[in-house]
Amino acid sequence: MIDNSPEFRIKKAIGTTVMLLLVTFAALPTLWALLLAFRAPDAVFEPIWESPLKLTFDNFFNITRSDFPKALMNSFITAGLSTVFAMLVGVPAGFALAKSRVSGKFIASWILLLLRMAPPVGFVIPLFLLYVNAGLIDTYAGLVFAYMTLTLPLVTWSMWNSFSQVPDELIEAAIMDDASLTKAFLLIALPAARPGAVAAAILAFLVAWNDFFYSLIITRSDTTTAPVAVMNFISFDSVDWASIAVASIALTLPILPLMAIANRYIVQSLSGAVKG
Amino acid sequence: MTEVKLDRIGKSYGSVEAVQQFDLTIREGEFLVLLGPSGCGKSTTLRMIAGLESITKGDLMIGGTRMNDVDPKDRGVAMVFQNYALYPHKTVFDNMAMALKLQKVPAAEIQDRVGRTAELLGLTDYLHRKPAALSGGQRQRVAIGRAIVRTPDVFLFDEPLSNLDAKLRVKMRMELQELHDRLGATSVYVTHDQVEAMTLADRIVIMNGGVVAQVGTPREVYDRPADEFVAGFIGSPAMNFLDLMRDDTGRWITECGSLVLPSLPVDAGARRQVRLGVRPEHIAVTAGGQPQGDLDYQAEVLLDELLGADALLSLGVGKARLLARVGGTDHPVQGDRVAIALTAAQLHVFDADTGVALRD
Repeated sequence: MIDNSPEFRIKKAIGTTVMLLLVTFAALPTLWALLLAFRAPDAVFEPIWESPLKLTFDNFFNITRSDFPKALMNSFITAGLSTVFAMLVGVPAGFALAKSRVSGKFIASWILLLLRMAPPVGFVIPLFLLYVNAGLIDTYAGLVFAYMTLTLPLVTWSMWNSFSQVPDELIEAAIMDDASLTKAFLLIALPAARPGAVAAAILAFLVAWNDFFYSLIITRSDTTTAPVAVMNFISFDSVDWASIAVASIALTLPILPLMAIANRYIVQSLSGAVKG
Repeated sequence: MTEVKLDRIGKSYGSVEAVQQFDLTIREGEFLVLLGPSGCGKSTTLRMIAGLESITKGDLMIGGTRMNDVDPKDRGVAMVFQNYALYPHKTVFDNMAMALKLQKVPAAEIQDRVGRTAELLGLTDYLHRKPAALSGGQRQRVAIGRAIVRTPDVFLFDEPLSNLDAKLRVKMRMELQELHDRLGATSVYVTHDQVEAMTLADRIVIMNGGVVAQVGTPREVYDRPADEFVAGFIGSPAMNFLDLMRDDTGRWITECGSLVLPSLPVDAGARRQVRLGVRPEHIAVTAGGQPQGDLDYQAEVLLDELLGADALLSLGVGKARLLARVGGTDHPVQGDRVAIALTAAQLHVFDADTGVALRD
């Protein structure tokens, strides 16, 4: 149906305007950061129209000489490992929760939800005390383990949901087809829940990647992650805005392709990937 | 060799008994249908044979071996599921080859066996498609092929046709029949569709509330239902039931006296009350006729429904209501006065309290 009445056109125009305003509002900080990243240090605080050509790549070279690349690598390692481990444990756990007939699932779901809802500050103090005694402060193992308090409940919870959508008959058919439970899980249930698994992995990675708080408390210098390392550009007497802008771009770029993949799979996993 | 024996098998969930004292021997090569309304325990029974459900009471013997605690894969059974349960990410070939691959059958033999099964089912052109690219009937054929390719001793079918549309269901039903004639394997088939049961079965087991109500050939369960439940469940439209009371002269009359039977076709013993069953197709209707014999009555057509070949007439005999099935051409219509005739041999009499059929 095409509505060409003036009334509808006005409504549509208002809608479009509001949407554009919101998009601009959301995109402005990103655009600003992009602009800052290319501005010469002395032009950072000048309005762009006064010196539009004071653009430079120096900021990018400067940052490679700082600690930031190492912090970025730390972020990759810790977010990556905590995602891998969370998947290794959480995917089978989600399968068990979705398909086994044991009682007590309610308690399990309650604890999982609690873990997901509870603020990190609730975990970080006991973890810190534990780590001080165990010598895990400023280690990869410590940080990965801490991130798993975020990623494991997330993966388990979402895989529970994904596996619930895989029909029981599919697994029963595999068992009738000579498969052991492990094989039925690996060969049949997991591929059927693949969109959910991809989405869960990406979301887990992003949670760890974006973390600031755990890293701030648990790391010192060796394993500092990128979000915390950004703070190093704020010194006692000055703030290196250009470097912060470059750093935030470096933090955002790697997750853009992930977001693109996640977008597709999250929609798929929400719409029920396994249909007759 | 592959006789399946269920020896007083039972399944209970806590205090709920889903299946009680299921006692039956399924003969080699027999096509046995478990029929009943939803929740009667027929699927549970099938799943106990498959090994997907544990058996809480009794013994299951397949080919002379006790199978209660044997893994599903080692029971020599294959199952076809209601919603096909095809592996969505695998091609038709891989779906059918799955069991053979897991058994580590050589690749050449897998190729050969899947190829032959696909040919049997007319699936050769679809072997490289994924299930999502198949029609409902084709999917069901793949599911059947997946069972056949394993050459099991016993086939189990769990309402395999209920997801198909009516037309396809008739076609697949005939295909299943041909297939069973060709393979001759022992088959257990669960359905709630009496037409499937009547057409496919060598014997039908009718279940109600977790209990076997009757076991018999399609002919037997139709002609000689064991109780009121079976009588009402088999046959479409369902049997008419009338409560009859014996008066002082020994005649049997309906509550308000509309229908009078001089005697019952069976010996009712000392009972003063019975329930009479008359199948709609066993009521002879003559337009404008006059009652002549003992079992003839005057009736009025209250409603007529044309089904095509047949018509259903809702008849009023005094205050009693009877549904009759008559030929679809020139049948009496609403408002007509008709004569109806019952035949003593086609009447069913049930105990008013227990519902058990009374026979001489």
